[in-house]
Amino acid sequence: MISPISNYNGKTLSFGSDKKEEKNVSYTRDTLLKNNFVTRTRIGLDKLTKAFTLYPAKGLAGNKNSNFYEFLTMGNVPYIIGSLTLMSVFNSANKHFSPFSRVNAAKIGNKMALGVILYGVFKSVSKSFVNLPVKWLTGIDTELPYAKVNYLLQENPEDYNNLTSIEYHKVGESVDFPRWDQLYGNPQKGESVNWRYDKIAQKNGLGQNLNDSDQEVKPIYKEVLVKSNLAKSFSSFLWAATGVALAFQKPWEDYFKVATFKFWKGKEFLHSLKIFGESFVKSAYELINGDKKSLSKLERHSGKILAGTALASTVIGVINTVHLTKKPNKQNPKKVISPKKESVVC
Amino acid sequence: MRTSNLIQSYIQGYPSSDRYNADKAVKDFDVNKELANRTFIKPLPSNGKLIRNSIFDIPSQIRKDILYDCDAFRHAAKGEANDHELGRLNDVGMKLGSLAIASYLFTKKQTPMTKLFEFIGFGTFFAAMDLWPKLFIQLPAYLIHGVNVRQQYEDSFGRKKMFYQDHQFIPWDLYSDKEINKIGDRLHVPKDIPNRREFIQEKMRKIALQNNTLWMLTAGFATPVMSALMCNILEEPVSKYLSKVKSQKADKLMSGFPDEVKKYKFEENKRALQQILNENAGKPITPELYETITMNLTDELDYMISNGILKDLRNKIPLDGKYNLSETNLSDISDAVRKAYSGINLSEEELTKLVPDNQAIIDALNSRGLFNGDFSDFSEHSKVIQNLLENRIEELSKENPDNPVIKKLKFNLKQLIHSKEFGADSELFQSFKHISSSVLTDDMARMLIKISEAVNKLKAETTVLEEYSFLKAAQAPETGLADSWNEVEKDIFKAMKFTPEEIKKGRLDRELAGEILRSKLEAIAADKTAYAEFVEVVQKGLSSMHDGMSRIDMTQDATKNSYKSHVDESFKAAAEVFKSLGMENAVDSLIGFGDKNATSAKALMFEFIEDRKLGVKSSFYRLLSLADLYHRVATGTNISETLHSKMPREIKEECVELAKSLMLEGHTSDFAVKFWQRRNPEPNRDDFSDIEVGADGKVKNKYYGNVPEHKVELANDREYFKSVMKLMYKEDIHPDTVVRLTNSGLLDDFRNYRTQAFEVLGGDEYFAKSHHLVGFAPNKSTSLFRFLLMGAASDEMAYKHFNNVFNSKKWFSMFGKLGAALVAVTVGAQFFFGRMKLPKNHTQEVK
Repeated sequence: MISPISNYNGKTLSFGSDKKEEKNVSYTRDTLLKNNFVTRTRIGLDKLTKAFTLYPAKGLAGNKNSNFYEFLTMGNVPYIIGSLTLMSVFNSANKHFSPFSRVNAAKIGNKMALGVILYGVFKSVSKSFVNLPVKWLTGIDTELPYAKVNYLLQENPEDYNNLTSIEYHKVGESVDFPRWDQLYGNPQKGESVNWRYDKIAQKNGLGQNLNDSDQEVKPIYKEVLVKSNLAKSFSSFLWAATGVALAFQKPWEDYFKVATFKFWKGKEFLHSLKIFGESFVKSAYELINGDKKSLSKLERHSGKILAGTALASTVIGVINTVHLTKKPNKQNPKKVISPKKESVVC
Repeated sequence: MRTSNLIQSYIQGYPSSDRYNADKAVKDFDVNKELANRTFIKPLPSNGKLIRNSIFDIPSQIRKDILYDCDAFRHAAKGEANDHELGRLNDVGMKLGSLAIASYLFTKKQTPMTKLFEFIGFGTFFAAMDLWPKLFIQLPAYLIHGVNVRQQYEDSFGRKKMFYQDHQFIPWDLYSDKEINKIGDRLHVPKDIPNRREFIQEKMRKIALQNNTLWMLTAGFATPVMSALMCNILEEPVSKYLSKVKSQKADKLMSGFPDEVKKYKFEENKRALQQILNENAGKPITPELYETITMNLTDELDYMISNGILKDLRNKIPLDGKYNLSETNLSDISDAVRKAYSGINLSEEELTKLVPDNQAIIDALNSRGLFNGDFSDFSEHSKVIQNLLENRIEELSKENPDNPVIKKLKFNLKQLIHSKEFGADSELFQSFKHISSSVLTDDMARMLIKISEAVNKLKAETTVLEEYSFLKAAQAPETGLADSWNEVEKDIFKAMKFTPEEIKKGRLDRELAGEILRSKLEAIAADKTAYAEFVEVVQKGLSSMHDGMSRIDMTQDATKNSYKSHVDESFKAAAEVFKSLGMENAVDSLIGFGDKNATSAKALMFEFIEDRKLGVKSSFYRLLSLADLYHRVATGTNISETLHSKMPREIKEECVELAKSLMLEGHTSDFAVKFWQRRNPEPNRDDFSDIEVGADGKVKNKYYGNVPEHKVELANDREYFKSVMKLMYKEDIHPDTVVRLTNSGLLDDFRNYRTQAFEVLGGDEYFAKSHHLVGFAPNKSTSLFRFLLMGAASDEMAYKHFNNVFNSKKWFSMFGKLGAALVAVTVGAQFFFGRMKLPKNHTQEVK
């Protein structure tokens, strides 16, 4: 027999949160979702909430249904807490300092805090710098989400209800095992089985009305996934670094003097937003043009180099991604398999 | 192309025996048994293995990882990478991004220490990310449970993965039964339970999962805090290391002076000058050419020296203001006329009639003898051109008297001849002054090249010398002197043993800091042992500072001081060259008349270092004087010459209070105005007793502070000024101080400082109190020297010190406690992990 992963049933493990989850389950099978702002926000909030509540609770209890998805989702926790802690490290002691020290410490502390925020913002936004042109040029949405119905192991022998959980993945999350099945259309709804593959095939010049567009498209789909992943891995962190560099420009000091998050104080809040915009523009200008008074050539041009590198990594990444090398051979199929070489066809 | 599907081939039927390779068979593998019980259809045997690296394998592991990442990048660029490779590349991207941040901030920071800490911060952050789970999760879990929760394994494709990465797919087969059982024993799992291996596995999985979750929950707090604490701890050793490196770098500049000088390529200037001279050889020296030459010579040169050179060059290169006339000038004159009429609507024909051609101008000028020769005044030339133009306008007017432009032409003629702006030459006037009558001769060119060589050599040499003096003594963070200051200041204030409450209070305000410092010093001064210990610390600090700065002691002979000798040689060599060329102003600016000018560029090279040293030394000598004064007052030693038996006690008390306050918080302005103190104009003149000092070192004032009314500044009491000065600087230092300073060799220097302070600060002339002098005549000194002699006020030093200490300790306390709490929670949690109940009849809980 094929051995189960575990035949031990811990009777002590039970989660009340499962019942809550049961109410939320709206998928009975793996379902492709639309990649729009609403869906992304809903998925993001769902994952964020569970990363701070359900998954840590399951993990700390040693639940047998805890899996790699939950572990990865919990990766948001150190990101968020780490960002807040990093801000705190540079700011929270300042209030105890004497006024002069406080002012000086706040100058650096505020920039550090802003740097942490801009790191996250630039990192997230910059992924679109790759995703959007790639989608526009190849028709392949590398971020297409789907809801996965996950079948759980029993917590105890009597537990037959609610043995599912919902996970949110992306079709191209794994380049080794993309969820090709999610891209097929549903004939019951009147859709062509290959309609998504057809569109991609047409967009990439593979032709129309193909018999097996899915087979033709899969290699290039995978190629785009790998290459765009590479582009994002490098460019997003370089953009994040540019965000930090931007936060360290002098014009932000104007903003810190008026910064407020008290939105209920309309006038002050709007003024704060206005100065934020102005400081952003001035800082971007200073980052690119450098401190002209500086004697160091490197200091004058370092911002330009950093932003230029980030931009170059994005452009090169996108060009490499859309430069497809795995397109099916248009030669006569008879010539594809060489009659002179041994071939085993299953 | 060969494709095959192993499982499919077996489904078709049993494999033929000739395809069975016995050599590759797994030991005890019975193919018929496997096929019979249908378990054959399963993944091929794993080639994976657990990674058990020791610390010595780290270098080879790093190399292997780098090669793997390079391969991964190559595969990903071609669109052929797998998930694992892409995951690794994401980590590489993160490190690259962080390195980019550190590199950018590196360029924005000004000092080596702050620059270096950008990379240290980067390093500690990633170190903290790696070390936190290893030290506070993996290690305690292993010590408590015997389970390595961060075990890694290499899969069949050689990919390194975490063993417990995905709890739904743990490759348990990589652990042998023996290993699992051993871990089970360590976990106190009974040996007689059914499915013991699986029970142990489940327990291991549970511990690992709980620890992985704990890692995720704590890493966000731990990484930044741990990184910041590591940076905090590294600050002192790194500072010391950098200080040593900088000192060595500075010393190397002097020991390898000729080689260091060669690194600065000012020859480029000489080549450029040579080209200018070649292109203009034999040509008139125009103001533009003169400026180009002087710009080349004085580029990046000290202002004083370049001024001297320029003064000499004006004599060497005669720009006598005389100009020649030639065809070129004539065209310029025509152009100037044409330009003046450009705004008037004239036909081309009219314009040709109006604007004189070259021949007409030559004829007109020749008729007055104004064409050939050197001219400095062109007013006659202007008149000639004016007449010429007036005649032509008249002719035009005669041809067409109704022409409306005639008036405009006459008006524009005035504009052309006379300047629009007061004092400036007219355009016509300017067009004459193009060709200087002075010519660039070969002799001049040779002289200029010689000057250029001397100047370029001096520029290179002074660049090295200035770099040395900057590294050693500049008023900037992280220079040799700044590092010494920090070191000594820290040791001295540490020796005073301020309590956290005192530091907390003292950092708020300079006045409060002064009060706290005064109380502390008075207490130390009242205790002979404590005072001896304190002076010893000060003495040690000052001795070490003196040793460190011995290389820049400008009082030394040049044979013993390499900086001094290099400055001497460099400036003298340049001066010799200028002397040979008869450039006295340049010589004077370099070394002064007879090499004795205190304001020469050479003297300033020494002065800069001397001033910096004096300022630093005075600050610590002042603190020592302060302690010595308090000790003398506390013990009643060496104060009797000032506080003699004929001085009323009330004045004694006023005098001591003022001396103590001045030493603590006085500035040069207090000495300049000869002090200002509200005193009793009618002191008690019956009580001549000595002052009394309590056990706490404070004076028990009988009168001072107890006479609230009628206090005024007694501006005419010059003897009082002298008494205060004498009490501070003239009375001999306390024998206890002498004992401590004798062995260090600082005694004479300290005495000299006090004498100098007495004479200079006490001899400063102030118009409102002109007789308030410690001597008979005023002592002439600069305000800068008096400022340096005063040094930093001790209360201000204390205020800054309190702030620094408080800020560092506060931060360390906040985040140190957070870090400690985090460690306690993380390690403590281990004791609650992995708890499971035994199956069936084994009801006892296994901990």
